Amino acid sequence: MEMKPVNNTSLKNNKNFFAWFKYKWSNEPLFSTAIALIIMVILQTLVLGFDYDSVGSWFQSWTNNWINILRNNAGIGIVALGMTFVIMTGGIDLAVGSTLVATGAFAMLLLDTGTRGLLGMVGMSGLPAFVVTVILVLLFGYLLGSLIGVSITKGKVPPFIATLAAMMIFRSVTQHFTQGYNTTVPAEFLQIASFRMGDYMIMPIIYWAIIAYILYYVSKRTTFGRQIIAVGSNERAAKLSGVNVEKVKVRVYALMGLLVSIAAIIQVSRIGSMDFSNAGRGMEMDAIAAAVVGGTSMSGGRGFILGTVYGMLIIAVMNNLLNLFGVPPFLREAFKGLIVIAAVLLQKKEKTS
Amino acid sequence: MIIEMNSIRKSFGSNDVLKDVSLSLEGGEICALLGENGAGKSTLMNILGGVHQMDQGSITIDGKSQQFSTPAQSQEAGIAFIHQELNLINDLPIYENMFLGREIKTKRGSLDLERMFQETKEMFEKMNVDLDPKTMVRDLDSSYKQIVEICRAMMTNASIIIMDEPTTSLTDREIERVFTMMKTMKDHNVGIIFISHKLNEVLQVCDRYLVLRDGNLVAEGNVSEVTTNDLAHFMVGYNVRTESLLREKELGEEVLSVEALTYNHTFKDINFSVKAGEVVGVTGLLGDGRSELFQSIFGADDISSGKIYLNEKEVKITSTTQAINEGIAYLPRNRKENAIIGDMDIMENASIVTWPKFSKRGVIDQKKQQDTFEKQRKTLRLKMGKLTDSITSLSGGNQQKVVLAKWLASNPKLLILDNPTQGVDVGAKEDIYDIILKLADENIAIVVLSSEAHEIIRVCDRALVMYHGVIQGEVKKETMNEHNIMSLATGGQLT
Ligand SMILES: Nc1ncnc2c1ncn2[C@@H]1O[C@H](COP(=O)(O)OP(=O)(O)OP(=O)(O)O)[C@@H](O)[C@H]1O
Ligand SMILES: [Mg+2]
Repeated sequence: MEMKPVNNTSLKNNKNFFAWFKYKWSNEPLFSTAIALIIMVILQTLVLGFDYDSVGSWFQSWTNNWINILRNNAGIGIVALGMTFVIMTGGIDLAVGSTLVATGAFAMLLLDTGTRGLLGMVGMSGLPAFVVTVILVLLFGYLLGSLIGVSITKGKVPPFIATLAAMMIFRSVTQHFTQGYNTTVPAEFLQIASFRMGDYMIMPIIYWAIIAYILYYVSKRTTFGRQIIAVGSNERAAKLSGVNVEKVKVRVYALMGLLVSIAAIIQVSRIGSMDFSNAGRGMEMDAIAAAVVGGTSMSGGRGFILGTVYGMLIIAVMNNLLNLFGVPPFLREAFKGLIVIAAVLLQKKEKTS
Repeated sequence: MIIEMNSIRKSFGSNDVLKDVSLSLEGGEICALLGENGAGKSTLMNILGGVHQMDQGSITIDGKSQQFSTPAQSQEAGIAFIHQELNLINDLPIYENMFLGREIKTKRGSLDLERMFQETKEMFEKMNVDLDPKTMVRDLDSSYKQIVEICRAMMTNASIIIMDEPTTSLTDREIERVFTMMKTMKDHNVGIIFISHKLNEVLQVCDRYLVLRDGNLVAEGNVSEVTTNDLAHFMVGYNVRTESLLREKELGEEVLSVEALTYNHTFKDINFSVKAGEVVGVTGLLGDGRSELFQSIFGADDISSGKIYLNEKEVKITSTTQAINEGIAYLPRNRKENAIIGDMDIMENASIVTWPKFSKRGVIDQKKQQDTFEKQRKTLRLKMGKLTDSITSLSGGNQQKVVLAKWLASNPKLLILDNPTQGVDVGAKEDIYDIILKLADENIAIVVLSSEAHEIIRVCDRALVMYHGVIQGEVKKETMNEHNIMSLATGGQLT
């Protein structure tokens, strides 16, 4: 194709825009995802209706709607970030939902105001107890993730199998040890997620944003982040370039566990309880969907933290739209499926060999 | 059959790779396509093979105009293509790979595995290839993969075969076999386009030559009228050095020595040492175990017994990370599988080894990384676009230079180079030899693994010749010649 210089300025601008758009579309992996997100948001705004008479109150309800969307998806959004790394190494983590329950149960066991509260037993309460809880729960999540990582690397169990097993084990053990007990979490603990800034309950959103930023930085700028890509793209070459492949993998699964435990703390501190038999079910699929919609390749090597945030938002906004349209709940999963397929088709087209 | 490519033009973005190139080939002739790294040879062939589309120009076969927008169309027109980089499916056995895209079916429409197996076996017998067609491709060494690819192309009954550097990981013996095969095909009126940087091969099998430089055809003629020096001159535009590189120098302390190193049946009871400032060659035929030996020393694979000493201290190297920290660098052979990380850009591929060194608390110092690479980029005369371009946008030889750059950046004490000049043009080869000798002068211990005897003879002080996993003998100075190397490599003794 030949691009001839054009003299007419207005035409030139026009052409430049299309050339720019085409260039971005085929060269920037996140461009199409971002466009899709913008279209979704515009659509959503249209559906919500723009009120010319009272812009103020329209904006108020628009904001509230968004805060709700973001807050409801913060936990899973955080998990999806970890899933992106896992998938980038060429692996998968099916155990996130069960890890959520295990770490959540551990948090509640530590905090319980009844007779079984572990920290209560050693006479700890209030802020110190909360700090200790958070630290221990994060460590526990990290540990569970490391266990999975070690079984994959040292035990040479394929990730799908290792995490499938972990998924069954973690939940079942948790349910066994928590059956019949009602735990209550101290009301102050709920501040972690429910603290209000002004009128807004946005702590989970802030956590999500901070973690997304950190992980974005990690993926772009650190040895660890870049080594993840190397491992997922060509494991043998990574190894022969001095990358400690096993260590990278263990750390990725450990990080996944850590992020799930953060999601667990957010969930426990939002509603004060957790349903151990149902919480986190299907979470792995939602996290994978967000990553895939965001441009992460299931075969490893290619993935984008920012893309996963977009992917999560696309799915969330779509859910919101379906809600607004009154689509029956059972049909909603079908739409999610369609979005995933559409995203992958889009990315196929843009992939330059 | 006569095939003609007329006034072909092709650019990638602002990079004009082919500027008006024409080529013609008749059945029954072997034509060499030569040129520096990045001259556009693979691109031209990719156009003929339907992989890339030309911007301008035309292709005609027997006077009929053709348009290849997919590789399948090109194949249908009777063109078989052996790509520069290996292109086999690791998870299928050899015989299924041989029939990819043109599977034999039974009457009921299922795959006729039995026939596919039989035909592959016959082909291997004809080619004298000692391989079980049922072996999974994953388990093959890269040289065997290359052989499988060549056999596959030859089995297609194509009237034109494009061979893009088919011999880079083969040793003389297999190369001979391939040449015999090529001559047979030629007698059957098949036309062959042969790309290679090994100019003596060109003189041996080709009838005609074409030389590309900077996207233009700069020379063509009959091979019988030229020497390798002439061809080299056409390619790079100046006279390529041919004089000996041998030098006398003082050697330093022992840097590496190994004692009775063994791993299953791959290599057995290996003893040798390398001194600072010394360039030691290791050579042999296919299956000699030299790459496996050095990958184990580098910590990428296990050893079952034996000892490794670095600077006269015993070390147990369990990971490549540790090996690098000990000052060892290993440039692997077969870059596509062992060295190139397709999802990363040029800059990252060139710096992956030094990330830990160039980072503070895990954060990579981009500036340092870039400065180091910029320096190497000049010494290696890398032909490339932006630092952030994908590594796969580089020509094969330039990818190899990037791989070399990353190891030079690690400042090793012991540099192991496994087939370092794979796919590198004649000019750049000399540059690499210069680098090797310069590093040796700086007292770095160097091991060069190569299957090309003349490469070993040119740069090494002495060489170990391996045969089926053992060191069959050593050649140095007066005894270092192709005859001696060959006789040791085939299991004989020095006479
Ligand atoms: N897919 C691509 N995208 C962008 N640039 C490309 C692509 N393929 C090749 N090039 C560029 O085209 C030029 C010619 O490359 P080509 O692979 O044809 O060289 P070559 O003559 O085969 O070299 P070598 O001997 O190293 O294999 C190089 O500058 C290369 O960077
Ligand atoms: Mg090439």
